[in-house]
Amino acid sequence: MTRRMKGALALVVLVLTAVAVSAAFAAGSATPGVTKKTITIGGTFPLTGPAALYGAIPKAEFAYFSYVNAHGGVNGRQIIFKYYDDGYNPANTVPLTKKLVEQDHVFAVYGSLGTAPTLATRDYLNKAGVPQVLVATGDSYWGAQYKTYPWTIGFQPDYPGESRVYGQFIRNKVPQAKIGILMQDDSYGQNYYNGFLAGLGSAKSKIVDVEKYDATATDVSQQVVKLKAAGANVFALFALPSQTIDALVVATKVGWHPTTFINNVSASPLFMYLAQKSGANVAGDISATYLNDIYNNPNTATAKLFGSIIAKYDPGANPLDADILFGVANAWTMVQALKQAGPNPTRAGLMSALTHMNQVNPFLYPGLKMVTTPTERFPIDQQILEQYKADGNWHPFGHIFSNAR
Amino acid sequence: MSTVFATQKGLRFLPASGWIVPAFVGAGCVFLLIGSLQSSLFAQQTISGLANGGIYASLAVALVLIYRATEVINFAQGAIATFTTYVAWQLMSWGLSYWLAFVCTLGIAFAGGFLIELIAIRPVERRGNQLTVVIASIGLLILVEGSIGWIWGSDLKFMPAPFPSHIYRVGGVAFSRQDIATIAISIAAVVVLRLLFQFTKLGLAMRAAAVRPDAARLVGIRVSWMLSLGWGLAAVLGAVAGLMTAASPASLLQPSMMDGILIYAFAAAVLGGLESAAGAVIGALAIGVTLNLLGSYVSWVTPQLLLPAAFVLMLVVLLVKPSGMFGRSRVSRV
Amino acid sequence: MRLSPAAILGIATSVVAAVVVGLLPFTLSDYHRSTGATVGVFFIAILALNIVTGYTGQISIGHGAFMAVGGYTTAILTHNHGWNDLATLPVAALIGFGAGVVVGLPALRFHGVYLALTTFAVALAVPQIAKNYPGFTGGTEGLALPTHTGIWLYYTAWIVAGIVFVLAWLLLRGRTGRAFRAVRDSEIAAASSGVSLSLYKTVAFGISAAFAAVAGSIYVLVNNFVNPDVFGLTLSLYILIGAVVGGLGSLWGVLVGAAFVELLPVGLTTAHISSSQSVPVIFGAVVIAVMALLPLGAANLLQTVLHFGSQTGQSSEVPLGTEGR
Repeated sequence: MTRRMKGALALVVLVLTAVAVSAAFAAGSATPGVTKKTITIGGTFPLTGPAALYGAIPKAEFAYFSYVNAHGGVNGRQIIFKYYDDGYNPANTVPLTKKLVEQDHVFAVYGSLGTAPTLATRDYLNKAGVPQVLVATGDSYWGAQYKTYPWTIGFQPDYPGESRVYGQFIRNKVPQAKIGILMQDDSYGQNYYNGFLAGLGSAKSKIVDVEKYDATATDVSQQVVKLKAAGANVFALFALPSQTIDALVVATKVGWHPTTFINNVSASPLFMYLAQKSGANVAGDISATYLNDIYNNPNTATAKLFGSIIAKYDPGANPLDADILFGVANAWTMVQALKQAGPNPTRAGLMSALTHMNQVNPFLYPGLKMVTTPTERFPIDQQILEQYKADGNWHPFGHIFSNAR
Repeated sequence: MSTVFATQKGLRFLPASGWIVPAFVGAGCVFLLIGSLQSSLFAQQTISGLANGGIYASLAVALVLIYRATEVINFAQGAIATFTTYVAWQLMSWGLSYWLAFVCTLGIAFAGGFLIELIAIRPVERRGNQLTVVIASIGLLILVEGSIGWIWGSDLKFMPAPFPSHIYRVGGVAFSRQDIATIAISIAAVVVLRLLFQFTKLGLAMRAAAVRPDAARLVGIRVSWMLSLGWGLAAVLGAVAGLMTAASPASLLQPSMMDGILIYAFAAAVLGGLESAAGAVIGALAIGVTLNLLGSYVSWVTPQLLLPAAFVLMLVVLLVKPSGMFGRSRVSRV
Repeated sequence: MRLSPAAILGIATSVVAAVVVGLLPFTLSDYHRSTGATVGVFFIAILALNIVTGYTGQISIGHGAFMAVGGYTTAILTHNHGWNDLATLPVAALIGFGAGVVVGLPALRFHGVYLALTTFAVALAVPQIAKNYPGFTGGTEGLALPTHTGIWLYYTAWIVAGIVFVLAWLLLRGRTGRAFRAVRDSEIAAASSGVSLSLYKTVAFGISAAFAAVAGSIYVLVNNFVNPDVFGLTLSLYILIGAVVGGLGSLWGVLVGAAFVELLPVGLTTAHISSSQSVPVIFGAVVIAVMALLPLGAANLLQTVLHFGSQTGQSSEVPLGTEGR
């Protein structure tokens, strides 16, 4: 073969490859997610990387959908739930979400986890008229910015609302407080901090020290030691699970025993267990919850149903992990909304169902009601304080608080 | 172009690096001592910093070992360490006692490291160059960390500590038995490595295989086996690092456990001189203490800037001594 | 300019490739056009890395940082100051050049692994610095930018890629390119021939960083979002993987490398294999296998199969010489 022939061959190969590749990429047709027998929803979650511990959530949601499917589905349709790993990196979330919408033709983007990932896809989804629902983040944006982003709605109580409750509690019940705060030095921590200040009101003069850490920190003992040295006797812990556990263990290690408030995200019985086994003295710590207390009431219908669903459809789950209860509660809400959207669901119909909620979710704390209106778009707005006891469980106490602004 | 090392006469405790570096280190120690005597907060921050540094040190020593034995920066070292820690966890969940599981894990780690070199790295080394091996190590990092999640899941797991949680409180400063153990074990590893490389024929053979493989083959050294041995030993050190890390309250057993620590371990190893295990330990302790003190006392070093601060420290040392604190300077002949 | 037959063939093939790339979107869905745009982004980034690592032999694991510089420049100018997106690209390139020189100067003192780890440090430090000024950069919540259609993104990415490719080709076939290759092959020989090491090494870093910054700008436009996690260590590692898999010192390999690091992971993630955890396992294994089978990258394979170019560095498509063990 001469060189020229080889060159020509190369060109032919190249062109053929390009054609083959483009054929593989050929566009599909478009019905958004609803067929006679199925309805497809999808979301993005961190299944690898430092946030991978939240991977339990989509698995639990998938389990609940499987249970529903086994019992006839929703309005005769089987729920197909697709979830992709974005590793908590918005540069992955955006293309994966686009894939869900444009290739998988999902009816709705459901349950996606993380503030930044959700912010990254919010514009695209709202522009395209695709519901972005029941997202797993406690930022207030989803409920507050509905006028600009009507297709987006959250699920869990927002972080500032939760920490406001802690602030109010301290103001009313802990008069001799000297407050030390450990917060993540970004919007996550800032959210809690702002709500906390609002709740404290005049008592914010009792804050003696605020320490911050960066999410890349491998250890927070430096900050805990300073809080102890500042003489704090109340410890507000606005940190992610790993740093929360570290802080609790270090506090005990250096001989500091303040009244400790832990944010709900990091207060799963699993994390408390890990902290305790590592030497932390966590009895007496306070948090807030909105989930059903199946841990103390294992014989209720809800607890048994939950147990059977998980045993059958998510057997690898750790029973201490509150995130699986979160996932099931979230999935229940989605199923209800799909039911309400009727036998011929439309995306607008789904949003309408989610913004006209008035129901009791069996997987939430008894007495809580999920209420939304087109202008009041926080599905869960109530919490109850709980205290961790030596028996290794959280015990709710007091009455149900409303986070309403 | 050939490369030779500056030779060192006789045996010294520290490689030939003059008196400047030990003097600096000494001055630093004096500063810490004075500060600690003045303020128990300073003392506590120093001790906590040393504890963190101990954890970085344990992994840094593994990085130094693999670099000395194979001239490769192994990005997968932390992930392999985490994997072996999970193996230990698995053995314990099957009923083995801590120390039995520990010993078995070391053996498994050695075999694992050896096999990884044999299967994944050797084919790459044979036909590629240094950069190719680095890329392979990055691929290995992705693979190993992914396989941990695949086999065991990504949820947080509890790993018992080797030493029952005993807290010592001395003059307002608290530290645990585990903190001391971690530092002691890192120092022990340094001593063992020094004995290996300085005093044994095997160590000499490993060094020769790494630096001048062609010449080493000429004198009968089986270079490939030396490299596999290097990976095996590094995996053992990594396993120890992983077990010490999982025992600390700041680290919970999850696939990404060593990600943050690997970064500081690299900074420490480079700072100390990539060929010096002692340097790596001193570098790691220095980084641990410096970051804690910076975070505590220097308000414009915000939490975000602590990670860059470790590297600024590394760069400052490199600009003054381009081969690190105790690294050997390379002399090139044309 | 007298062109060798190999160079003419090279140009011809480039033209054909350009035509294919230009016409491809008409057969693709909007989603795949965005994916194609991202391949374009990696094309530019890997090309940028090639200038520093393939042509002057300086290892950089930090090009994600230069992408971050460009990406944030675009985001801040667009979001906070209302600039037109495309107008920010030259600014990003300029600032990227500056950043590259700033990194390149102290890097002069370091070689091999120490240089690699210095760039590693830069890659980690830049996102942290971005987090440190949230008022400016949006912090971890980042900045959202206007969305664009897939076709706009695709053509923006590939037209810029084409411009960068041509610039790189012109640069590398001339005196500068010869100086770069001299620096890579033997610093001592280069210095004794009168090639100013510090000038060329620093310029290489500067140009490389400028290109990477532009890649970062387009990356941010494709995702219509920026935050520090977008430019984490993984990005730098992927660019390096792409460069080596494609084949260092070869402009052709860049296309293969870009396709590899963009399409394979995303393809695996969305392929619904048994468990999403197996995605990194497969990808990692493939990377290792590629290194074992094609240590000099895909471009070398193309070269061997098709007998393009020559080994002496006359054309711009030249594989990196082996530094055997």
